[in-house]
Order: sequence, then C-alpha cells, then structure tokens
Amino acid sequence: MRVSTYKDLIGQGIKGVWRNRMMSFASFCIMLVSLLLVGLTFLLALNLNRAIDSMEEKNEIVVIINDGVSQEQIDELGQSIQSLANISGCEFFSRDQAWQDMVADMTEEEKDLFQYADDNPLPDTYRVTVVDIETMGNTTVQISALENVESVKSPNEYADVLISIRNILTLVSTAIIAALVVVCLIIISNTTRASVFSRRKEINIMRYVGATNRFIRIPFFVEGMLIGVLAGVCSLFLTKFVYVGLYDILTNNMNILTALGISSLYSYDSIVKYVATAYIVAGAVIGAIGTTISTSKYCKV
Amino acid sequence: MIEFKDVSVTYSSTGVDALNDINLTINDGDFVFIVGESGAGKSTLIKLLQKEIDATSGKIMVNGFDLTSMKRRKIPNLRRTIGVVFQDYRLIPTMTVYENIAFVMRCVDAPKKYIKTRVPYVIGLVGLSDKADCLPEELSGGEQQRVALARALVNDPKLIIADEPTANVDPALTYGIFELLKGINACGTTVLVVTHDLSNVVHFGGRIIRLEKGSITIDQVFGGAEE
Repeated sequence: MRVSTYKDLIGQGIKGVWRNRMMSFASFCIMLVSLLLVGLTFLLALNLNRAIDSMEEKNEIVVIINDGVSQEQIDELGQSIQSLANISGCEFFSRDQAWQDMVADMTEEEKDLFQYADDNPLPDTYRVTVVDIETMGNTTVQISALENVESVKSPNEYADVLISIRNILTLVSTAIIAALVVVCLIIISNTTRASVFSRRKEINIMRYVGATNRFIRIPFFVEGMLIGVLAGVCSLFLTKFVYVGLYDILTNNMNILTALGISSLYSYDSIVKYVATAYIVAGAVIGAIGTTISTSKYCKV
Repeated sequence: MIEFKDVSVTYSSTGVDALNDINLTINDGDFVFIVGESGAGKSTLIKLLQKEIDATSGKIMVNGFDLTSMKRRKIPNLRRTIGVVFQDYRLIPTMTVYENIAFVMRCVDAPKKYIKTRVPYVIGLVGLSDKADCLPEELSGGEQQRVALARALVNDPKLIIADEPTANVDPALTYGIFELLKGINACGTTVLVVTHDLSNVVHFGGRIIRLEKGSITIDQVFGGAEE
C-alpha cells in the first residue's frame, strides 16, 4: 500500500475515536484504572524487592559466644556453624578486635569516658552470612541450639514480614493483572465492535470492491491502539502524582522507612522511562489485541 | 470468462439444495440476464461468483481465478475484477456522489492523481456531472442507481453484476439504467443482470439464463424488441 493510503487509514482511525466517543471514553477509563492499578502494584513490589535485596546484602547474623570458653571450643563452634545448610561465610571476631573497632569509632568524649573501664565488656562473636535470606529464621534457630552460643542476633527482623508481603503481593498482583487484562480486552473489543457496526456500510462496500483485510482493519487497529496509548500516558501522569506524593511522605520521614527496615526507595526520575515504556507498550498491545479479536470476527473479507 | 462445471451448493445450516449440478459458460463481453423466481438460486449464484460462499461440489472459474482452490487472502484480487450494483444502491449516506465513487478507488489503493481524473469521467458517463457534490438523499432513485453503476464501473472491472438494478427505480427510469448497462457492455465489459422482471429482458434482449429450483431450465439468446 502507498504511504498516503496508510496516512488516510491512520486518519480514519483517529476520527473513529471521536466518532464513537462514548464507547472510546468508557474503554479509556477502564484501561486507565486497570493500568494504574497494575502499575502501582508493580511499583510497590519493585520497592519491596529493593528493600529485601538490600537486606540480603547485609545478611549478617551475629553469634555471641559464652564467656570463658576455650579457643578449642570456639573453633569447634565455628566448624559446627559452617557445617549447617544456608551458610555462605563464618568469620570469628574476637572481643579484643571488637573493642579496638569500637574505640576507633568513638568520639573523644566517649574515649575519655571509657578510658577508666578496667575490663573489655564485649564478647567473642562469629559473624555469619547466609545464602538465602528467606530461610534466615531457620538458620538462626539452628545456630542458637549449638553448644557455647549465648545468643544470636539477626539484624533483619522485618525480613520475614517483607518477604511474606512480597509473596502475597506477587500472587495478588498476578491475579489482578490477569483479571484486568481480560476486562480491558473485552471492553476494547466491544468498542471496536461498536465502531465496526457504525461503519458496517463502508466495510460492506470495501469487501465487495476488493479491499484487503489489512486495508479494512488498519483504522480499527489505530483506534484501539490510540485509546490504549492515551490511557497509558494518562496513567503515567497519575502514577507520577501518586508515587511522588508517597515518596515525599516516606523519605521526609525516615523513621517510617527505618521502622520498616527499608534503607531507600526508587526515586520517580530513576524509573520514569521504564514506567512510561511499560504503560504505553501495555496500552498499545492491549488495544491491538482487543481490536484483533473484534475485527477478525466482524471484518472478514 | 465465467465457467461453472457441475456446481452444486447445499446450505449446511438448513440442508437446502440451492444449486444442483450447474454447468455454465459466459464469455468475455457477453450480456446475460439471469432470471428466476425467489428461491431459484440467483442470489447463491452471485455469492459464488464473488466467493462469498464456497460450492459444495464442482469447479468455478471467474476472470481467470479458480475459485475452488483460491486462498482467502486472494479474494480481494478476484473482487477487483468485478463491479457490483445492488438493488438498494448501498451508497454511503454521509458521502457525496464524488466521495462515494472515489471511496472504492481508495479501497483498491488507486493513486490520488488517477482518482481525480477517473471519478469525474465516470460521473460524466452516467450523466450526473452536475450532481457530483450532492449527498445520496438529495438524489432520486434512478440517480442513486446511476451513482451505484458509476461506482461499479470506476475500477474498470471485467465483469459487472447488477442484482435487480431496477427494482427500486421508477419504471420510467428503468430504460435509462439498462441503456447504461448496454453501453458499458458495448465497451467490452461482461454484464450479468439478475432480475425477475421479464419485460426488460424481452425489450432489450441478450442471453437469458433461467433458474428454477437450483437448476438451469432455459439458456438461450433472445433478439430483443429494439432489434
């Protein structure tokens, strides 16, 4: 087909959006809400993953060893820890070394205060790293049960909670996405059907004079994809509004993030190009597939 | 050229035998009337020619296309060689006479320059040059049918099928429509007129094929009153 013909067909598709404005608007609204819900759920999951990943990076369990045990017993404990599953590293940290490190981090005032301490109050420890943070809880329990272990400190007290939230979110968001995609496809498909119906006389003539399937369907494709892309663009703006608002609240009040065990969130600017691409591509693809369903049924040559 | 060899059509939904073992040859440049009562199989024959439906058995050739083995994506190529005139005109009410005719040229991807010269030419052929900017509702039945004829003609088809072209036209204007069809035929285009109005057949003459209950009962050439 000629370039000018393509231009004409695209123009017809754009006019079609206006011609069926009520149905187009309904499709647009449904797609907007769907994309927005999917997008925000995805961004929430993305930030949770980041929090969990950052916890995995500092997945250190501190094993405090009983006072007065011999070096031989300490070595045995080290071997016992290393023989457990899910252990990626186990490093002994002597009480003297811990004291030196602590003093080095002290301010001058604190040093003055501690210079009269007659004994090192810190215990010998093992710093243990795990392979999989999701089973860190089990590993902690196993280490606690070993001989000569006074206590075990796991810094990621919220890891289990976050992982549970992430897993539930993944499950729920997958179900929501699937349901919304189906709803979008149905509504776009119905809009196209209404558009086909309003142009049925033209389509009938086109078929009789030898127009190709492509020629008949392109305007409807443009119509469906345009509605999808517009919904994607509007979703992007609304997402910015919601995300930036939440981001400001959470980052201006670090206590909330700290309480949740989250060190930082993705800034909107760092993810905007991915979010924009995902929204626009998803809108266009859903629009195109919805149109295909209708046109393949009602626009056969 | 149109060739039917032992063509039968049975509608699977109703089980009705619409055509039974039809054998028919229509040469290029023929003017043929197909007559018959309602349910005789005339519409089925037209649908077969345009490959709207497939024959249950037999072989069909139309303008060099073998319809029996033709793939769906090739159907537009066949239809570009056929112009169709409907009894209810089927003009697009929101388009002017010019736009209605130009529209079918755009459908087959004709160049814009060619459309600009060809459309006024065919509008002139059917005698509606002064009505080019009118909407269909502003035209009489006879004029609307002339527009439909111009639209069928504009892509220069090898075959024109006119399905009851004068059914909704004032009897006084019927003559003019048939005169136009005769003129088109004189230029070498095969014309197939489906009608149940035998008075026109008798008046204009030509080859007459009569269908009855899905079978051809008469296939012969009449001279016509004009001659």
